Amino acid sequence: MTMNRILAIAREEIRLRLRSRLALYTLLIFAVLLTATSIATALRMSEEHRERSEQQALAEETFLSQPDRHPHRMVHYGHYVFRASPPLAMIDPCVDAVTGQSMFLEGHRQNTAMFADARASADLGGFEGLTAALVYQLFVPLLLIALGHGLIIREREENTLAPLLAQGVTGIELYAGKWIALAGVALVLLLPLALVSAAAVAAGGSMPASAGIIGLYALYLLVWCGLILLVSALVRLRAPSLGVLVLLWLGTALIVPRMAVESASAVLPIPGKLTTDLRMQEELREVGDGHNAAAPQYRQLRANLLAQYEVERVEDLPVNFRGVVAESAEADLTEVMNKHAEERMALEARQARFAETFGWLSPVVAVAAGSRALSGTDLATHHRFLREAEEVRFDFVQGLNRVHVEQLAYSVDMNRSIDAESERRTRMSAENWNVLDEFSFRPAAAGERLARAGAPLAMLFAWFGLLTAGGVHAARKMRP
Amino acid sequence: MTGLIREIRFLSSDRAALLWLGIAVLVAALSVVMGLRETASQRAVLSELIEFDRAERAVVGELYRDWGDAAYYTFHLTYDSPSDFAFAALGQRDTSPWKHSIRALALEGQIYETDAENPVLALTGRFDFAFAANLLAPLLLILLLHDLRSRERTAGRFELLSATAAVRGSPWFARAVLRVGALTLCLIAPLWVGGLLAGTGASDLALASLIVALHLGFWWGVCAIADRFGWSSPVNLTVLIGAWLALAVIVPAAIKLSVEAAVPLPDGGDILLTQREAVNDAWDLPKSETMEPFIERHPEWADYTEVSQPFEWKWYYAFQQVGDQTVEPLSDAYREGRIERDRLAGTLAWLSPPALAERALQAIAGTGMAASLAYEQRVRDFHAELRAYYYPRLFRDETVSDASLAQRPEFGVDGALPPHPHR
Repeated sequence: MTMNRILAIAREEIRLRLRSRLALYTLLIFAVLLTATSIATALRMSEEHRERSEQQALAEETFLSQPDRHPHRMVHYGHYVFRASPPLAMIDPCVDAVTGQSMFLEGHRQNTAMFADARASADLGGFEGLTAALVYQLFVPLLLIALGHGLIIREREENTLAPLLAQGVTGIELYAGKWIALAGVALVLLLPLALVSAAAVAAGGSMPASAGIIGLYALYLLVWCGLILLVSALVRLRAPSLGVLVLLWLGTALIVPRMAVESASAVLPIPGKLTTDLRMQEELREVGDGHNAAAPQYRQLRANLLAQYEVERVEDLPVNFRGVVAESAEADLTEVMNKHAEERMALEARQARFAETFGWLSPVVAVAAGSRALSGTDLATHHRFLREAEEVRFDFVQGLNRVHVEQLAYSVDMNRSIDAESERRTRMSAENWNVLDEFSFRPAAAGERLARAGAPLAMLFAWFGLLTAGGVHAARKMRP
Repeated sequence: MTGLIREIRFLSSDRAALLWLGIAVLVAALSVVMGLRETASQRAVLSELIEFDRAERAVVGELYRDWGDAAYYTFHLTYDSPSDFAFAALGQRDTSPWKHSIRALALEGQIYETDAENPVLALTGRFDFAFAANLLAPLLLILLLHDLRSRERTAGRFELLSATAAVRGSPWFARAVLRVGALTLCLIAPLWVGGLLAGTGASDLALASLIVALHLGFWWGVCAIADRFGWSSPVNLTVLIGAWLALAVIVPAAIKLSVEAAVPLPDGGDILLTQREAVNDAWDLPKSETMEPFIERHPEWADYTEVSQPFEWKWYYAFQQVGDQTVEPLSDAYREGRIERDRLAGTLAWLSPPALAERALQAIAGTGMAASLAYEQRVRDFHAELRAYYYPRLFRDETVSDASLAQRPEFGVDGALPPHPHR
């Protein structure tokens, strides 16, 4: 086997392809499609990143500039967090479109994210949310099929296979040459992706993750090259070869991913948030209502405090008992809410993992999972956002409760509803509002994301290995 | 007639064609089964929730003996049950809410919350009949029809067949009719079975079948046009799949982009921030600044606007209402924008038959954007009913009684708001 001969075969193949007008036009159309979707996705995501960062800054500024108030009013005034999309979302926005972008944080409640794009956009039947990532995952394989289904069959049809083999070209050499030609086209098609990745890195994206994405898509397209070439070697006529490949594409790109979704939601059903919330109510009532310091749940707390400070009456405590109750109730309540939120997230993660195992059936499922993990737009990242938002919520609410405990005297607090003057005296200085932490959402570190992409990558490598082995076997046995 | 029988015999011996048809039946049947499973599970979730919600309200009703507290702590479930055809086109139901719990506070702070599915699953989309019929079936039809003539040409029988046919082109026509008809039947039969199981009305099923047939008819036309060029089978197939890609994927994506550019929406974040500022500023404003705009909307309470205490519930609920009033222009613009986007998308969908067919099936199923917006409106109407129930009790400072609580509106009960008035 000589490299020169393999390269000569590849060169000849590409020269022939370029002479075919159909092939040239399809290539050109795809090049335009890829460039257009890449640029459109990148522009949209960087615009959204800018917008949400601005809104985040505005929300923080608004909170900090609130006038003097009763600290518990600030607990209900609440705060907003916005999930700025990570730089690599330019390549694959993924869950960004269906999860909300903003979330209201307030005391005693965990709200859901609001304003998902999908709810306000034009509804056109399934593929309208086209992104560069989807074009690579679903439609570039179609182009490779159109270009490659007849690679080996052509030699048979034109009766050149027998002379080639007779001249001493081995089946493996022929196969490798054709593979290089098709893989070359596939790799050239990655150019727009490489450009967007470069832009994402320039915008602060992680270099290893970007490189990982390019590698992932390269491997994915090579899997398709292997599959196409294998079919082209095994099937003796052009038309059935194309039919088989289109069928395989239909199955792996359109049917299996949705079957994965259906199976995951059938096998591992998740109760909705409303159901969980309602089930949680009983537990929350046991915690008690932190607004009502006289509630029976706080008797023990009161007794402990009185004993600790060796006083008889709540009024004589050096701390504001209403604040203490608010603080303790918030902590207990949050524990209950977090327990249920974590359960829900664990279920969702299991569902997602279950759906991901369909990557063993379809490389499309595998590449999609790897792509969103590396881009930082997967479920794990969304959960990270939810957890970080909760942390911000808990911290500022407890910070305000601390102010309530330490700075607002109990007697003043108790008389807040007598008249306007008494109410005025419960207002704490606005300087206290700086308990709010700055929120800036970042996806997990590149190393963690690469680790999450490990399973999908393993699937693609398995596919690649299997198809290469199959190809070698078919090439060895190649007869005219 | 003998021609048709000959063609049936011919089709039944064409293994490739039988394979495509078999796949069509399988895919359609699977999609119907999964759609039925999904709607059944949505119904089960709802009936459990309705029960939970009622029990929870009974408990809360015992806890608070003050209308202000009762209104503050009581949540009310609203929901949009799947219609009897929803199994075939789940549409917006995996991204837009179909259940929502609200209370008598400012609505704008609550209405945009979503009790959504696992986002990773929602992103891929469901395997429903609409997907099978609108996106997969055209590809199967292309596979069935692309080599009708070119195969005979390759086999060298084309001239002979054409010359011996009584009417020029007729054997091709019969052959194509048979295949299009068989494919349509393969799709529609599982749909009807599913429809019978779900109790769908015959007229809905007939209409849906007509949509499927017309849509496939369109793709037949596309195949017939491609056939005129006399390409070889592989070229023909490549071009046809290119046409599918253009009409089912690229055109819808382009429509979506242009619709969103043509109809900008107010930013969701602005709605939330404006609403919150309006509600919270009220605490620091003179009470009259809340009561005056409130009375403009509710003149019937003009005699009850005296607020003497620093905190009174009627004032509290009045500023909740005024908060909604303040953000109304933005909120209306957001809603009207979404309606306008949907309308424009509906018009432009004529450029993409698969999108048009999808929207048509969603319209029958009551699962489209329009239905989702209609549900949002019903939530708003119900919230208005809640306010109408609480205001007299808050403003007249009545005491809470079980008799009075029994009159509280309940979503989907009393016939005021039927659970799914889709059509």
